[in-house]
Amino acid sequence: MVQFIQKNSFDATHIEDEWIILDTEQFTVTRLNELGGFCWLKLQEAQSVDTLREAIDQEFGAVCEKTSIDNFLSDLMKCGLISHAI
Amino acid sequence: MFKYLSKMGEHTVEISVATSPSIHCEKFFGKIENTFQVPDLKVNILTSYGSSFTDYEVSIKKQVDKITFQRSDYLIESTPDYTSATIHVHDELALKHALMNLYSSYIVYHNWGLIIHSSCAVQNGKAHIFAGHSGAGKSTAARLSEPRDLLSDEATIVKITEDEITVFDSPFRSELQSTGYQQPSPLGGIQLLHQADTNRLEKTRKPDALLSLMDKVFYWSHDPVETQRIMGLLRTLVEKVPVYELYFRKDPTFWELIS
Repeated sequence: MVQFIQKNSFDATHIEDEWIILDTEQFTVTRLNELGGFCWLKLQEAQSVDTLREAIDQEFGAVCEKTSIDNFLSDLMKCGLISHAI
Repeated sequence: MFKYLSKMGEHTVEISVATSPSIHCEKFFGKIENTFQVPDLKVNILTSYGSSFTDYEVSIKKQVDKITFQRSDYLIESTPDYTSATIHVHDELALKHALMNLYSSYIVYHNWGLIIHSSCAVQNGKAHIFAGHSGAGKSTAARLSEPRDLLSDEATIVKITEDEITVFDSPFRSELQSTGYQQPSPLGGIQLLHQADTNRLEKTRKPDALLSLMDKVFYWSHDPVETQRIMGLLRTLVEKVPVYELYFRKDPTFWELIS
């Protein structure tokens, strides 16, 4: 099962209902909403689409579509925030 | 060479300076009475360094016992905690920029506060910051704020704690020289400037405010730990103080919108 994990060198700031993720090496900024921030924190440890889906269900009592999580992870990959966990 | 005590922000600075007709340190470092207080910073200023200003590019080198910042017109050699430094400068502009570089590094390292690219005026005991990109109107807002006391016209010294945000008189001026040391004032608000035909004030969401202020902080080092400190200080700042987008026309009427 494919797993994902945060890369290093990030500073995450939680303010109001958003997370601001600063890549302190590349100096890029990514903004995440509350749900995105929750997933981001989970990604401190390796996660698959299924484990994230389960965690969201437990925390928010909401079933998240797999494709939404796929898209979210794909966006984080494009932003250089996560990589495949080996 | 002579030595005296001065004040920057709430810090006591011991200055040692070589006598030079081209460098007037008193502009940045007004003399204070000797209070027998242990100085927070010791700055040794030497002249006849390098060549005139060419660009803002600063080369930073970190060693175990020393950090250096080098530009064509200045060289700072500092202890890693920025409490003791020797500054070599070419001229007065180099001295101003080197001092901002050193003091900014000092206050971030000690998690005391930030220097923000902005002007700041006082009304009814509260400081109001005017920030914006180059040409947005920081100096114009400062000029249009007369006769209010000005704490800065270019670089605002802001102390940031969980309890209070305070603005100190800034010696780092561009056009409007300080008329003497102004008392520190609690910060009432931050205005992000946009020139417009009519005056309008809109409250900014905190995440937007934080992002807008990130590139207004005077800072040189690219150390990830210190970047985290800056983010922490900015977060506290926007949590404690309202930030607005101020659309203003070039006359003093925008003050009617600022409480």
